Amino acid sequence: MQEFFQQVVSGIAIGGIFASLALALVLIYNAMGLVNFAQGEMAMFATFVAYALINRGMSYWIAFPITLVLAFGGGILIQRLVIKPVERAPVLTLVIITLGLATLVNGFAGFIFGYVPRSFPSPFSADSADLFGVFISYRDMGVIAVSGLVLLGVYLLLQRTTVGLTMRAAAHHPEASRLLGVQVSWMLALGWGLASAVGAVSGIMVAPILLLEPNMMQSIIIYAFAAAVLGGIESPLGAVIGGLIVGVTVNLAGAYLPGVGGDLQLAVGLAIIIAVLIARPNGLFGRAAIRRV
Amino acid sequence: MPNLLELKEVHAGYGPRSVLHGVSLSVPEGGIVSLLGANGAGKTTTLRAITAGVRWSGDIIFGGRSLRRLATEEIVRAGIAHVPEGRGICTELTVDENLKLGSHLRRDGAEVRKDYDRVFEYFPVLKERRKLSASTLSGGEQQMLALARALLMKPKLMLLDEPSLGLAPLVVRAIFQIVKSINEASRVAVLLVEQNARIALELSSSAYVLEVGRVAVSGASADLKDNESVRRSYLGY
Repeated sequence: MQEFFQQVVSGIAIGGIFASLALALVLIYNAMGLVNFAQGEMAMFATFVAYALINRGMSYWIAFPITLVLAFGGGILIQRLVIKPVERAPVLTLVIITLGLATLVNGFAGFIFGYVPRSFPSPFSADSADLFGVFISYRDMGVIAVSGLVLLGVYLLLQRTTVGLTMRAAAHHPEASRLLGVQVSWMLALGWGLASAVGAVSGIMVAPILLLEPNMMQSIIIYAFAAAVLGGIESPLGAVIGGLIVGVTVNLAGAYLPGVGGDLQLAVGLAIIIAVLIARPNGLFGRAAIRRV
Repeated sequence: MPNLLELKEVHAGYGPRSVLHGVSLSVPEGGIVSLLGANGAGKTTTLRAITAGVRWSGDIIFGGRSLRRLATEEIVRAGIAHVPEGRGICTELTVDENLKLGSHLRRDGAEVRKDYDRVFEYFPVLKERRKLSASTLSGGEQQMLALARALLMKPKLMLLDEPSLGLAPLVVRAIFQIVKSINEASRVAVLLVEQNARIALELSSSAYVLEVGRVAVSGASADLKDNESVRRSYLGY
């Protein structure tokens, strides 16, 4: 039982990481109706930036916010330079463009930083605390706390501020928003910036566990897709809960299902995507899309 | 009275299909003007041209300034509130959030609060439903929300696209009464597109009748209303 709880807590920690990346996917999905396949690679690149800052002697807790700000700016820049010129293109074109962007960012990271896996520091002690007989590592608690704070911050920004309100309006009702004086195009750029910063958090949190290299996020993005799909792809809350469910499920499957171990965990993530799409295509929090034809 | 809005020989269309073939009309400051005509005559397109929702040529002057090359957001910020066809309610948001979008650009906090009070006086039902999703409102209530939101933008000119569409006659009466009150209380000019010519002519002081993208008849609302042949050939009642 004790081990079970430990596995659940680690699952929540990794789930918080999935949730951050899934939330980034949802933010962009809401803004332009498609999944940004480059989200994971953008997060990886931001993590390399954090690595470079820390390597130059900057303290972790200073490098962390600076990286988020840079990721935010980078997201806006990508939206302005790459996405905006093709805004009105068919969805398939945009999908190919984000796939191309993923390859480009991946190659660029390899070119600058190389493909040798590097260990990334964690600011949390590797010790464990004894909570009523369950040993929980400070790392897991730290990851949970950081992800929780970031998700809470995004929630407050979107739900409680005027900028958040105009971002939501621009994403869901661009035509109506324009008639209310909302600068829709810039709101979409802000959405990219926010998604990029939130994604960067997932990269920085996962790097101490996985080792940092250009392909680091390629499995994480699958879990994030699973989380976003499970949550209903357009619901930020759904992405967070989906992330936690996927994290715990994958962790428990790895620990208890014979044969899954570490290697087949990714298959569990894919199985979740397929199962959701078959059984409940709108996810836990999504609504059926109603279109007038 | 000086003209607040003036369209001069406006041509507009969607891609290769041209809809307006040289429409000229004007709205005086603080006035109510009706834009009438059959389906497909170009009424909605005229409004869309004013807020840059469609490509146009010719000239549109608002408050002495040409709107040529301005983006929709800039035109709106200059003081035009456009309640589009279908009302443009953000159904993903709550009633309160929709109203906030109306007032989000204003910096005159005290005035904004007064306008909220006024809006809730006009439309008490919106106050009751503030926290609810706008998608739960009935058609009439959505039209009220759209009007309330437009009022909160503190515009100089309101463009209303078929506010009566799909509403019960009693609701239409109430809404038109409120449009009149808004116009009288805050000197907001109104350009009103309507299929329901009878009620529009009662409200407005002057009117234009569009026929396939051209102004066929124009004049004082009272004259048009009393003119038997205009009524029969263009207004259908």
